[in-house]
Amino acid sequence: MKKIEKLVIPSDTDRLPEVDQFAEKMTGELDFSRDLRDDIAISVSEAVNNAILHGNKNDGSKNVTVEFHKLENGIQINISDEGGGFESNEVPDPTKPENIMETTGRGLLIIRHLMDRVDIEPYKNGTKVTMVKYYIKDNA
Amino acid sequence: MKLKASEHGSVLIIELKGKIMGGPDANMFRDTLKEHLDKGVKKVVVDLGKVDWMNSSGLGILIGGLTTVKNADGEMKLARVTEKIKSLLMITKLIQVFDSHETVETAIASFSE
Repeated sequence: MKKIEKLVIPSDTDRLPEVDQFAEKMTGELDFSRDLRDDIAISVSEAVNNAILHGNKNDGSKNVTVEFHKLENGIQINISDEGGGFESNEVPDPTKPENIMETTGRGLLIIRHLMDRVDIEPYKNGTKVTMVKYYIKDNA
Repeated sequence: MKLKASEHGSVLIIELKGKIMGGPDANMFRDTLKEHLDKGVKKVVVDLGKVDWMNSSGLGILIGGLTTVKNADGEMKLARVTEKIKSLLMITKLIQVFDSHETVETAIASFSE
């Protein structure tokens, strides 16, 4: 795997399988267990889904960019959209009883559990989510 | 995602397979459920034994299904929940919302008459 690999897709959730194939290829070249590869794949699908639905608001003219950066001790994945940005601390707690039956709103919670580091920041006209998974968590 | 629906007596069994990540998956599940609920089915088992993983959209599909079945005065149970999905249900506290069973057979047997 080269140091950085990039995939750009339009805002269409039907393209998620393509993103998953890309993530499978990238992590397959690295020293991750099947379990950790699935954690990465789930997190990538969550972040891309959020970028399409909440960032770009399903606007097919706006793209989502997925970048895999190979690190010495793991992998960093950057996912950026071209939307208006959002405040992650404004997302309601999906585990509260009043929200538990909602069908959406769990993506960030899952990403934060499955990945070792997660940063969300404004980026150009949109939002960039940076996620890191280490081969061994003690490397964090 | 692949979906296979079959009836075991009065119980609808929906077997899901592969990766559940949203997009067209939700429509496929909802349409199958609606088709059988419209025919009067009240008992549903969702077999997750062949699911590789699901994301929050997949969890949303299950929650939406549970609500739809309850609104039709029915019951929906999960069977053969894999360790990966169980960990997601724990993280999201949805473990307390779903009635989960080790096998499809025990899920079927657990329905009230």
